[in-house]
Amino acid sequence: MEINTMVKFEKRTLPNGLRVLVHRDETTPLAAFNLLYDVGSRDEVPGKTGFAHLFEHLMFEGSVNVADYDRQLQFAGGENNAFTTTDITNYYITLPAQNLEVAFWLESDRMLGLDFSEKKLETQKKVVAEEYRQSYLNQPYGDAMLMLRPMAYQIHPYRWATIGQDIEQILNAGMDDVKDFFRRYYNPSNAILCVSGFVDPQEVFRMAEKWFGDIASGPENGRSLPAEPRQMEVKRKEVFGDVPQHQIFMASHMCGRTHHDYHATDLVSDLLANGESARLTREFVHERKLFSEANAYVTGSIDPGLLMVTAKLHEHISPTEAEELLRHELHKLTKALPDDREMRKVKNRVEATHTYFESSVLAKAMNLCWYELLGDADLLNRQADAYARVEPADIRRVAEEILRPGNLSILHYGKRKD
Amino acid sequence: MLDRKTAPPVKLLSDRPFREPAYDTLKNGLPVYLLEGGTEEFVKVEVVVRAGSYHQHKPLVAYATANLLRYGTKGRSREEINEMLDFYGAFLHLDAQKDMISVGMFVLNKHLEPALDLLAEMLQEPAFSEDDMHSFLKNQQQVHLLNQKKVSHLARTYFNELIYGEDHPYGYRLKTPDFDKVERKDLIDFHTRYFHGGNAFILVAGRVPEDMAERLEQRFGRDDSPDPVSASSPGYPVISPGQRKVHLEVPYALQSAIRIGKQLFNRTHPSHHKLKITNALLGGYYGSRLMQNIRQDKGYTYGIGSNIISLVHSGYFFITSQVGADVREAALEEVYRELKALRTVPAEKREMEILKNYLSGSFLRSFDGPLAQKERFKELVMFGLDVSHYDEYLNTLKTITAEDIMECAGDYLHEDGMMEVVVGR
Repeated sequence: MEINTMVKFEKRTLPNGLRVLVHRDETTPLAAFNLLYDVGSRDEVPGKTGFAHLFEHLMFEGSVNVADYDRQLQFAGGENNAFTTTDITNYYITLPAQNLEVAFWLESDRMLGLDFSEKKLETQKKVVAEEYRQSYLNQPYGDAMLMLRPMAYQIHPYRWATIGQDIEQILNAGMDDVKDFFRRYYNPSNAILCVSGFVDPQEVFRMAEKWFGDIASGPENGRSLPAEPRQMEVKRKEVFGDVPQHQIFMASHMCGRTHHDYHATDLVSDLLANGESARLTREFVHERKLFSEANAYVTGSIDPGLLMVTAKLHEHISPTEAEELLRHELHKLTKALPDDREMRKVKNRVEATHTYFESSVLAKAMNLCWYELLGDADLLNRQADAYARVEPADIRRVAEEILRPGNLSILHYGKRKD
Repeated sequence: MLDRKTAPPVKLLSDRPFREPAYDTLKNGLPVYLLEGGTEEFVKVEVVVRAGSYHQHKPLVAYATANLLRYGTKGRSREEINEMLDFYGAFLHLDAQKDMISVGMFVLNKHLEPALDLLAEMLQEPAFSEDDMHSFLKNQQQVHLLNQKKVSHLARTYFNELIYGEDHPYGYRLKTPDFDKVERKDLIDFHTRYFHGGNAFILVAGRVPEDMAERLEQRFGRDDSPDPVSASSPGYPVISPGQRKVHLEVPYALQSAIRIGKQLFNRTHPSHHKLKITNALLGGYYGSRLMQNIRQDKGYTYGIGSNIISLVHSGYFFITSQVGADVREAALEEVYRELKALRTVPAEKREMEILKNYLSGSFLRSFDGPLAQKERFKELVMFGLDVSHYDEYLNTLKTITAEDIMECAGDYLHEDGMMEVVVGR
C-alpha cells in the first residue's frame, strides 16, 4: 500500500498544559477549529451515567463573558457542533479563515467558565431526554447496544452507553454535579486544540497564547478505571420488540485502540463485512440469501473494545441455525489464512476510505487531536503503514483470540408475536 | 488585560467563492463538467441520468434499475463486479430520486482506468438478472418494513402523499406489495428509454487528470440514443387534495413526528432566493426561530427545522420535528405561532445581521472543495441554470430586508395555507 499524502502539522504546548496543533491547507478559504476534551462516558460514575453528554449540551448555553455562543459564531459565518463518545468530548467549528479569532474568543471563554443556571440545566435535560427517545427508544433495535454493553462488560464503565443507562439518571443530574464535572475535566491540561485550513501557524500559536494562555491549569485528570476481567462464558439474551425481522447482535472483546493488534482486528471486521464482496455479505446475503444484511465493525475505543457482528434474518431461516452458520463462518478465520488478493483488497479499501472521507480540513483537525490523545498526532501519518504491515498470520492469531470459547455476548432481537 | 467581552472583528466574503467548471461535450452530445481541486489523489465521477420515479410507470422501477446496475453485466457476474470494486477501493453510489438517477463512483486516480471501464459497462450493458432483482427487492422490502416502524419516515411519506395526492409520482407512498410487482422487462424498458447520452450528463470532481474528457469520450461517447428518442416524461396533473390534515395514531410510539408544509415552486422561480432566506430565518439553521423557541427555550424536542425542496416539476416547503408525546399540542401551537410571527414580526437588526452573516459563511462552506462544488453545479445543470443563479443569491442576501422577509412569508408561508401530518401519539 502506498503511504497517503502526509498531513503536516506544527505543535506547541502552552505553559498551562494546553496542546496546540496547526495544519496549513492553502486550497480552502475556511478554517477548522477542533477542541478535544479528554473526558467521555467512561469517566462517569454509576448512577450518574449520560452525564458527559448532557454536559456537552450545557457548553452551548453561555459562558462567563459571552451569553450567546451560537449567535456570535453565526455572526462570524461559522458553524459548529460537538459529539461525546465513551472516551472523548469533541467540539468543532468551521468558519471563514479570516474570522478565526472569533473561534478562539468563544472557545477560550467557555473553558474559562460557564454561566450556569437552573433553567438552562432543566431545559437541556428535557432536550437530552427527547434525544434519548428519538435515537434509542423510539427506533426499531435502537436499544440493542444499551442491552448488549452490560452483557459484555461487567465492571468497566463501557458497560453503559454514552447516552446513559436510563432517562431517569439524566433527569436527576444536579447543579453540583455540573460544577464538579467542569472543574475536573474542562481545563487546558485536559484538552487538545487543532486548527487546520487557510491559516498561518505562527498566528495561530499567537492567538492560542492570547486567548488560552491565562486560563489556569486544572487538576490532574486522575483517571483510574478498573480493567475488565477476561470473559470466560458465553452470555446470551433474547428479547422481543416491535421490529420487522429477527436480528442477531454478537459482541466479542478485542484489544484497545493503541494495542499493536488493533489494525489486524479492524481488518478482521473488514474481511467479514466491509463491501459487497466481503465474506458475510457475499455468502449469506448474495449467495445463500439467508440474511437481508450483515455487518461487522470494531468499536475502536481506547480501553479494550468490542468486535461487533450483526445479521438481519429472512423469515425462512431459524435464529438458531443462523447463529450456527455465522459462528461457523467466523471460525474459518482461525483455520485458513486469507490469501494475498483478499488481504490486498481489504487494505486497498482502508486506504481508499481514508483518502475519500478524511480529506477535509475538519476531518484532519479532528484526527490530529484524536491521535495526539492516543500519544502522538503523527500517528495519523502512520496509520496507512500500520495497516499495510498486517500479515495473514496476524489475522489468524487475532481471530483465534477473539473467537476463543467464552468470549461472546449474543443478543437475539426477535419479532414480537401479536 | 484581555477584553473578553467584545467580539473580535468579523469580515465576510466579498467575491464568488467558486470558479466555473471546465465544460466539454462528447461526440454524442453528452455534457461533461470537470471540477479540478482537492488535496488527495482521487476523483469522484458522477453520471446523472435525467429520469427518476417521476418517469416510471410502476413503483420502484427507477430505484430497482439504478441499484441492479451493480448486479452483473453482459460480460461480468455480480460477484466479479463486487470483487473488482472492492479490490480497487472504488465506492459506488447508486441513487434514484424523483427526477434523476445518480451513478457515482469514488476512485483513487491510480485505479481510474479499470474503474471507468467497469462504470461504463454497468451503465451500458446491465444484465438485470431476474433472480438478483427479486432478491434485491426482497431485501429492500425488509428495509421498507423497518421504515414503517419509524414515525419520522411515516410522517415524511404521508406528507408527500398529502401535498401531491396519492396518484402523483411526487406523492406516491410505497406499499409493501409493490416490492413483489416489479418485472425484469420494466427495468429493461426503463433503461433503454432513459439511459443514453442524450438524457444524461457527467460531473468529475477531484484531482481530474488532464485527459479526462478523452477517457470519457472512449467509454461514453458513442451514439446510443434509442430510436425514436422518447425521453419525454409522462406528465402528471396535480390533484389538489381536499384534505389538509392527517393524524396517524401509533400506539407504541414515545414521540410524535410532525410535518407541516405545502406545495410551492422550485429554484427557477423568481422568488426562490427570497424564500430560501425567509425559510432560514424560520427554521433553516440552529439560530432559527423554531430551533431557538421550541428546542432551546421550551425543550420540547431534540431538533426542529424547516426546508424548501426543488423538484424539476414542482417544489415544496416543510417543517419537521419529533416531539415528546406529552407536549405535542403545545409544540404544534408554537409552530403555528412562529409561522404567523414570520409575516407579522419584523426581524430585529441583530437577527438580520446574524442571519445574513451565517448564510454567507454557509454559502462559502457549500463550495469548499471539488466534491461540494460538484453538488452545487449539479443543481444548476438539473434546472438548466447557470452560475449567475448563485450571483443572484448573493445579491439577494446582501439587499434583502426584514420587510421583504415578512412579505415573502405572507405570500408563500401563511399559516392558514399549511398542511399537517402528525404520526405517533
